[in-house]
Amino acid sequence: MKSKNYSENIIKVFKKDGFILSEPDVLLDSDYIIQRSGENFRKLMLTFEDDSGKSMCLRPDLTVASCIKYLKDNSKTNSKIFYSGQAYRRSNRPKDKVINDQLGIEILGSKNKSIDDLKILKTITSSIQKIKIKDISIKIGDVSLFQRLIESLKIPERWKMRLMRHFWRPQYFEDLLNRLETNSDVDLVAVDLDKKKFSEMENLDQNKEIANRKVSEILSRFDRKIKDPRSFGENKKIVKIIRDFLKINCSISKLEKTLENFVKRNNLGNSVFKDLSTIKNLSKINSEMVFSTNFGRYIEYYTGIVFEIYNSSKKEIARGGRYDGLLKSLGSKKNISAVGAAINLNNLKI
Amino acid sequence: MKNLITIGLPSKGRLKEGSISFFEKNNLKPTSNGGERNYFAQIENLPNSKIIYLHAKEIIQRLGDGTIDVGISGLDLLKESSTNLQKKVEIKKKLDFGMADVVVAIPNDWIDVQTVADLEEVSFDFRDKKNTRLRVATKYPNLTNNFLVSKGITQYKLVSSLGATETYPFIGSSEIITDITSTGKTLKDNNLRVLKDGCILNSQACLLISKKKAATLRPFLNSLI
Repeated sequence: MKSKNYSENIIKVFKKDGFILSEPDVLLDSDYIIQRSGENFRKLMLTFEDDSGKSMCLRPDLTVASCIKYLKDNSKTNSKIFYSGQAYRRSNRPKDKVINDQLGIEILGSKNKSIDDLKILKTITSSIQKIKIKDISIKIGDVSLFQRLIESLKIPERWKMRLMRHFWRPQYFEDLLNRLETNSDVDLVAVDLDKKKFSEMENLDQNKEIANRKVSEILSRFDRKIKDPRSFGENKKIVKIIRDFLKINCSISKLEKTLENFVKRNNLGNSVFKDLSTIKNLSKINSEMVFSTNFGRYIEYYTGIVFEIYNSSKKEIARGGRYDGLLKSLGSKKNISAVGAAINLNNLKI
Repeated sequence: MKNLITIGLPSKGRLKEGSISFFEKNNLKPTSNGGERNYFAQIENLPNSKIIYLHAKEIIQRLGDGTIDVGISGLDLLKESSTNLQKKVEIKKKLDFGMADVVVAIPNDWIDVQTVADLEEVSFDFRDKKNTRLRVATKYPNLTNNFLVSKGITQYKLVSSLGATETYPFIGSSEIITDITSTGKTLKDNNLRVLKDGCILNSQACLLISKKKAATLRPFLNSLI
């Protein structure tokens, strides 16, 4: 089958399942993307200056571009869209292509997690079946399970936040675990010096801003930090639990039992992983499905399920997931949940 | 002239003074036959050479494109330049002047921030509570990016600065800065403080050569080092 026929057949399935064509802009405002993704993303983007000196970039990703369009159109309702086009981004790996053909679906403004997650996965798998690719296997992760585990652990709030924020950067995450395991990052000598300053600052106008931070904000964070209760032995145990959790790898049908055993083994509360209905619901898909807690750590914006679909020779042909925070970080005033997936046409062509 | 050696030296400040005395210590005395502001000079006992006084940053660029063969400039400026340019320049010797550090500095009154790890947390506060990015003013965008990202800070935005970077946090142009400092006095006088683990680079003056010319320069360099 030629790639044009591939796309046509895939799009047929998208349409049949109720997804409507969306055509996001090719050119985006670089500063807008940097604002969301941070400065380091700049080197992955293909940017240029327009004649007014404004930095523009080619859309690095169709999910982000679709979300920007959704916000620009000021859509009030939930929107089931599909897109077909090219995304442009550099990569740290020399083998990767700069131009990627993407064909994908998104539910923006998703109201029902269980139904919409299943819908996305179902539409993607049936579109893959439509183009006669058989023996697919699916790998699934769920970032929110990790968050639930961290919430349940007895570590300082700021360490919880830290671990959750950097879950998607495995290497730095490992550094964090080592730090948590071995030492404290509160310097007692410095704290003594700053306590004096603390009482001085208590007398200032608490709304006064110092480089964009209110005095009250600085003092309350300082206070929280020095009251951080930490004990060495406890931390070692906690790091062991986190490492143990990240080793979980099982078929989706055994997930509940596996998590139960994990909870028992580590003396955690029974309610940590209660209500797995959203993930269990996905097992309605009739394909081989493996769940891994360590999976889905490469893109910052995923907040729930994450999946990748492989063909029989283990090449990735589609990926997707839930991203409930992305639209807000792109400037939406309220939380807008979303879930989506894209097919990698480049890997289908062979 | 064949085998002419072109030497680039910093055109002003402490780097200029240090460079000239380094050459003089090696019995190579730069002499200028024009006025005080002439940008060209010769070396008395080295007839096939000429000196050009340039901006320290430009010395690195000219070494890269081969218009000068030898130069003295700061390590900070070399490390800040593009990797493509750095490949073309070789550090021959680190010299004992022009010592200064490129550092991350924050407002002194941010008493809750002592380390880069603290800063990382505050940067997320900016994103989550204020829906903006922590702004970092700098003359060193490349060094700053590499350092911050290696320390787990990703939620920031650079503001490029040409000078007086120390003022930025207090006029609302940025929240923190990275800058070069030798004694720390300017930072202190402007109510800024260096993070405990906020040293990005220990810089100093370096004797640099254009890699392309390495072989032909060997006799000259042997007399120098």
